[in-house]
Amino acid sequence: MQIYVCIKHVPDSAANISIIGKNSIDENVNFLLNPYDEHALTEAARIKNNLPGTEVIAVCLGKADAEKTLRSALAMGADRGILIAKEKNYDSRVTALALKAAIEHDGKPGLIFTGKESIDEGGMQTMFRIGALFDFPVATNVVKLDIEADRAVVVCELSGGITHTYEMSLPCVMGTGRGLNTPRYPTFPDVVKSKKKPVQKIAFTDLNIKVSLAGMRVIELKPLYQARQPKEIKGDATVVAKELIRILKQEAKVL
Amino acid sequence: MDKKVDAIIIGAGVIGCPIAYELSKIGYKTLTVDKHTDAGEGSTAGSCAIVRAHYSTADGVAMAYEGFKYWLNWEKYLDNVKDEKGLARYMNTGSLLVKSQGHDWKKVQKNYDEVGVKYEEWDNDKIKKMIPIVDLHEFWPITRPEDPAFYNEPVKELEGGIFCPEGGYVNDPTLSAHNIMRAAEAKGAKFMFNAEVVDIRSENGKVTGITLKDGTRIDARIVVNVGGPHSFKINKMAKGVWEGCNIKTKALRHEVMYCPSPEGYDYLNDGYHMSDGDIGCYVRPEVGNTFLVGSEDPDCDPQEWVDPDTFYAGKGGHGKDNVLTEEQWKAQCYRLGKRIPTLSVPNQPKGVVDLYDCSDDWIPVYDKSDLPGYYMAIGTSGNQYKNAPVVGHMMAKLIDACEKGLDHDKEPLQYKFKYTDRSTNVGFFSRKREINYNSSFSVNG
Repeated sequence: MQIYVCIKHVPDSAANISIIGKNSIDENVNFLLNPYDEHALTEAARIKNNLPGTEVIAVCLGKADAEKTLRSALAMGADRGILIAKEKNYDSRVTALALKAAIEHDGKPGLIFTGKESIDEGGMQTMFRIGALFDFPVATNVVKLDIEADRAVVVCELSGGITHTYEMSLPCVMGTGRGLNTPRYPTFPDVVKSKKKPVQKIAFTDLNIKVSLAGMRVIELKPLYQARQPKEIKGDATVVAKELIRILKQEAKVL
Repeated sequence: MDKKVDAIIIGAGVIGCPIAYELSKIGYKTLTVDKHTDAGEGSTAGSCAIVRAHYSTADGVAMAYEGFKYWLNWEKYLDNVKDEKGLARYMNTGSLLVKSQGHDWKKVQKNYDEVGVKYEEWDNDKIKKMIPIVDLHEFWPITRPEDPAFYNEPVKELEGGIFCPEGGYVNDPTLSAHNIMRAAEAKGAKFMFNAEVVDIRSENGKVTGITLKDGTRIDARIVVNVGGPHSFKINKMAKGVWEGCNIKTKALRHEVMYCPSPEGYDYLNDGYHMSDGDIGCYVRPEVGNTFLVGSEDPDCDPQEWVDPDTFYAGKGGHGKDNVLTEEQWKAQCYRLGKRIPTLSVPNQPKGVVDLYDCSDDWIPVYDKSDLPGYYMAIGTSGNQYKNAPVVGHMMAKLIDACEKGLDHDKEPLQYKFKYTDRSTNVGFFSRKREINYNSSFSVNG
């Protein structure tokens, strides 16, 4: 089986983001693998371990610098990479068309993974658009996955922590969520091995994608400034612990 | 709120607080001012707080070893003061110096012998027994991941290391400064926060006090610059001081990483502080069973000298601001990943970016100045945290002696350590010295 993992090269969430003009950011910051895609890669590597003969291919639509993110994916277990080199940013519709074209050109997908969203734009659309283009079933925020002979049994988490279990025919598309696994990060020997893995580069323009008039574009980006208002909890350990529990229960509502 | 005290200390970090403490103990009325909201909130907060004795000079070793005694007897040093935040803890893990081409370890060993530092020599088998996760191949020379040579297969083995059982680290550097502040307050010292110094005033060739940003003027016959990365800016405020220093200070950006310990290895409880010149890293355990990975500033790494105000405001851009860079994250973690092949390196950098107050030869300036009444404890270059209590005592002795008429430039003060049977020539730290080429010119000191 061929497993395609669609990955995105995104700005580090810890970066000092500054907006240039009205609708773009200064890209001279750290870029890295979209964190949701790490779960996809880890899951793909797990399936590969259980199903001999499986090949994991990471696919990325990105600018030239995205090759290093593809290398991160190879270090996390992908066997090879495909970089669709673009010079400008596209919406999720064009992104899905490009990923579909590259995957179709490359092989025969048994499974396609994406992260459930990207941390830069958070559109949560790419997996559905890929599914529609291939006419494959799609599940998102997948937190458990079992591959059986010709089907996948998936558990998806909805808002509020509710889960639904689905049975899906293969091939299918999955948007992976944080609950799926603990990402398996590379060791230095993994990094060394990944340097020898191939990355194929395709120019976006060579995919002959028809960019129609329908589409989305960012008109304006506005920074959200949130003043931090730290409050010190004073008192002995018992008082501090009680107040902390109260805050977690009543204010943060996480307990 | 204009007022008058004997001595103003600028900077309530881990070095400013002990100076206030020791001066208060010998009767000086002190006021410590700091632009932050509490003690230890400046570059002290970003310190790795490592306590180790290996320095490139015998004086350096002696001072660090003297410092051990303070950390090992922390409550006694603080005169059993109560701190509502609790006490910082000295984590006496022991400290391993890997014998490598990156350190002049033979000189360190000679210095250990001269000073009387307790140590053991560990061969590779012993290191493997004590730290089973390490690969003891030699990876020298240090390169960067962008360089193909970084991936060369190692062929030779290292030659063991020198283990110093009294070394370790302090678990909370900010809290340690806070503890000393509380101890100083118990001796009458006063502290003022959110107080940024904008002028050092002088009259008739003598310091007379400071002016704060809000216009407050505080008079004192003694002013001590312990401004950390801002030290050069403060020196420039005092008439003739900057010009009178042969050794200058400036702020160097420095990144320290947190990388999770390999699965199954309890680094937090079983690990040691380790200085590994072969890969240019030092490590110590950190909360969450992570490796705190510092850099020993190998020549191949970029050095970024920055304006501290711009840096702390998060400005300056990639590699100059207060955000970790992916390039340095990979450089440091992959270097450690050579030594620990099971170390998993996450994609997102995690760690601390802060500033060294760095002198021209990476050795601090503990001295008077060309402006009578104005003193400085600066240029700590990322390696003086461990010495802070000793420096506090030594600076108080220096200030007191100079105020009583000693011409320290002509007849340098000989400082007698409290615990180690040894004196040190405080002139070693003079602002007037020529660059000391015995220095390692790195955080190793």
